[in-house]
Amino acid sequence: MRRLIALFLCWFAVGVHAQQSTLLQNVLNELGNHATVRAAFTQSRENPALAQPQVSQGQLLFVVGHGMLWQVTEPYRETLALTGGRTARIDEQGQSQTVRGGDRGVAQVSQMLQSMLSGKQDDALRQFDIDAQGSLSHWTLRFTPRQERMGRVLRRIELGGDQFLQSIRVEMQNGESTQIRFSETRDAGPLTVLEKRALGMPP
Amino acid sequence: MSGPSPPPRAPHLRAPLFGAALFGTFALAVALLGAWLLFGRGGTPIQTDLLAMLPATERHPLAEAAVERLAHANGDRMVLVVEHANDSEAKDAARDLGKRLVDSKAFASITAELPPFDLDQLLAPYLPHRFHLLTDADRASLTRPDYDPAQALARRLNEPFLAGVGIKLQDDPFGWLQHWLDQQPWSRSPLVPEDDLLTAHRDDRTYVMVIATLRGSSYDDTVQRTGLSALAQAEQTVLQDHPGTHVLRAGAVFHAAEARAGAEHDVHVVGLTSTLGIAVLLLWAFRSPRPLLIAFLSTAIGIVTAITATVLIFGQMHLLTLVFGAALLGEAVDYSIQYLCARANAGATWQAQRGVRQVRPALLLALATSLLGYALLGGVPFPALRQMACFAMVGMLAACLSVFWLLPALLAKPASKPLSPSLVGLARRMQNGAARLGHGRYSWIALALLVLVALPGWWRLGHDDDIHLLISPPADLAREEARIRDITGLGNSSQFYLVHGDSAEQVLQREEALEAHLQTLVQQGRMDSWTGIAGMLPSAQRQQANHAALAPLFADHALMEKQLLHAGLRDNVVAAYLNAWPGQPLSMDAWLAMPVSTPFRYLWMGQSEHGFASIVLPQGQDDANVLRTAAEELPGVELVDKPASISALFGRYRTYASLWLSAALVLVALVFVWRYGRAAPRVIAPPLLGIGLTLTALGYLGEPLTLFHWMALMLVLGVGANYAVFLHEGEPHAAHVPGATYAGVLLSAVTALLSFGLLALSSMPALQHFGITLLLGIGFTALLVPVTRPAREYETV
Repeated sequence: MRRLIALFLCWFAVGVHAQQSTLLQNVLNELGNHATVRAAFTQSRENPALAQPQVSQGQLLFVVGHGMLWQVTEPYRETLALTGGRTARIDEQGQSQTVRGGDRGVAQVSQMLQSMLSGKQDDALRQFDIDAQGSLSHWTLRFTPRQERMGRVLRRIELGGDQFLQSIRVEMQNGESTQIRFSETRDAGPLTVLEKRALGMPP
Repeated sequence: MSGPSPPPRAPHLRAPLFGAALFGTFALAVALLGAWLLFGRGGTPIQTDLLAMLPATERHPLAEAAVERLAHANGDRMVLVVEHANDSEAKDAARDLGKRLVDSKAFASITAELPPFDLDQLLAPYLPHRFHLLTDADRASLTRPDYDPAQALARRLNEPFLAGVGIKLQDDPFGWLQHWLDQQPWSRSPLVPEDDLLTAHRDDRTYVMVIATLRGSSYDDTVQRTGLSALAQAEQTVLQDHPGTHVLRAGAVFHAAEARAGAEHDVHVVGLTSTLGIAVLLLWAFRSPRPLLIAFLSTAIGIVTAITATVLIFGQMHLLTLVFGAALLGEAVDYSIQYLCARANAGATWQAQRGVRQVRPALLLALATSLLGYALLGGVPFPALRQMACFAMVGMLAACLSVFWLLPALLAKPASKPLSPSLVGLARRMQNGAARLGHGRYSWIALALLVLVALPGWWRLGHDDDIHLLISPPADLAREEARIRDITGLGNSSQFYLVHGDSAEQVLQREEALEAHLQTLVQQGRMDSWTGIAGMLPSAQRQQANHAALAPLFADHALMEKQLLHAGLRDNVVAAYLNAWPGQPLSMDAWLAMPVSTPFRYLWMGQSEHGFASIVLPQGQDDANVLRTAAEELPGVELVDKPASISALFGRYRTYASLWLSAALVLVALVFVWRYGRAAPRVIAPPLLGIGLTLTALGYLGEPLTLFHWMALMLVLGVGANYAVFLHEGEPHAAHVPGATYAGVLLSAVTALLSFGLLALSSMPALQHFGITLLLGIGFTALLVPVTRPAREYETV
């Protein structure tokens, strides 16, 4: 009897696993269908060094294969272009100035997100165990670092959404957590010349 | 030329015997000393370090030290990169390889899986210095009048996704230290720790680095062999267990092993083949084993004395010398051949001492021209060539002296048989043919025809001064190293900047000036990056400027506190941060003591008698002209480009060598005019034409001329002059056997061809060029040499 239960559990576990990876695949396929996406975002950050959470708002433009434009409008105005491992600040004239290249923090997470949202999960699977929950119309992907080194810094990343990505939550081991919520998510339509230039795309 | 000598009187006999005994004892002592030097001291004094062959080319004395430092920074270890299309397979293979290498116990240490480390612990030493370390961008914006600390703080606290990894927010609320740390070389490396392995991903393939540190120098024979065999075994098992795995390798030990294997192969081929060939030839010519043994004894004395002298003078012997030494057999044997020919031709009237007197002028003249040729070779400032010249001069001298002092005692009895009649007959036919063509009205037509044929060949001659003449790493090894450089982002380390000054501070300041120029190149996309000390340890002046840029913010303590609190930081965090101001500058000693500086310490050369110096390595640009622009007009900064310097040196000495050859020709011609008077043009013609025809042949073969071709032509002149002298001087003594003297010359030429000519098969380009030139030059000269004596003389005999 116990053997039967064990066997059943094994089968069930395999089933769950298979179901999860199909969900993950379906979610990624769905996300990959939207090559360019615009959304409004609200980011809220808690950190042990902070007495109250930091909240910022703005617009996000995501282009598969090129990166994203992170445009903060509140409480200050700033546009960052996150392309590959590079972070650049874009001024009002559309001139870009490299803030940093190839660092392990923001760039690594943004790179992982970029490849996930492009439907390429190899990079992410190398770095994270991915746990998919829910259904295609309401899903959560939980990323736990597989690398011990990263695990000592980063606790987990959670992505949630439906047809589009609707939220990102980044939890650090030092107690910091960053919650990003998206609204008015939509296919972007044609890009402006300034946007293309900022993302290093051909005009 | 000299008349018949009076018969020797009895008392004279004892002196030569005594001399022979003395010389024999001397030779034996030298041989014993040589054996002890080579084998008696543990470890053979054979130098396999290719770098040791290269000449000093740099004007600044520190540059040579820097070249050596860089070569040996990675010298005594193997860098292995395990490659596989499948990520986990690559990592398993790398772990497996690491374990097997550890188990082999052939290495001092293996770095495959990284030891656990604590990021906080590594970065904590920077905290006391955080107000002295700023990026250029932060310093520039801090000193702008419109700098708004409140907005900078807000930007930092609201960065997308996360507020930085590494330095905690409370220790660095503005992110200045974080920005600076992001620029450190370890943050920029394409290799990232994954699964406790140093990993890179490229084109959907995974690369994992494994470093094996040898138990000694890469150039130590035992260390080399144990290390390489352990690697081969481990690699074989790993490739079997993880199919599809590929292991890339880099390290001096592979080059040293390849060079050693190549040289050993050359020594075997050249040494054995020429020894066998010469033995068969001499047996056939003299039809008796005794002359063969005598000739080899004389040659062996020459070679052994040369080896002993070289090791005594230079402390060790280079591979190149060893291979060249194997080829020298063919020239050293000439002296004894001349003496043996004189004996064979004399028949029953042979008297050993009279024989010596008969060949002495020719041998001395020949020795003088050879020594002259090699002395010119020794004048070139290449350590390897100097050694070869020393080796050759000592060897020839000892071989020649053995003919004068030792051989007469061993060859007191007349020869049992004359020279092989078939050889003499062949020589006579060749000699008559060449002599007939070289005299009378046909001679001018023949000469004109020769020049006509030669002209297009000369026209086609080009030249080549590439460093690969001396060092030619095997193509697949060079490819693997290039791939590893590409994956790991390491520079090629043969081109770098040397920064020097009177103090450590001055060197760092000069490096900062250089980095400003390099930054421009990076922004123009003409370079990827660079690695230098000043990026990790700014000069005191720069740190002072950083501190000064921050000072106004911290001057108003209350305002700063208000801004930090307003931004949302906790009050205890704000208090601790403000208390840390002003901190202290990062000193050289503190930097050197940090664990993170370990991989970069070799870039700091420290103090020497020539002052302080450091090395800056550029990455992603190989064009020396582009690199040189960055160093222009900067005091104390120079680009060191060792390959280019050596190529330039090759080119310079190639030009010198052609001038030297002309000068040597004039010198030899003058000697001949003094000794032979009006016959001189005929004696100088064969070596001169031999050189001319060799150049033609090289032109037709499409071989660009290198320094080594010219060096070999110098030897062709020496050897060719010998043959002309041997024939011209020897003919009157052997007038009763037509063709016998030329047969002796032919014997010399063929032995030289057998040994030097085989160098053309060498794996080292330099020796190969040497070989092909000597092959052509000696061949042509030997064929032309009968024009030395007018044909009429033969016909009247």
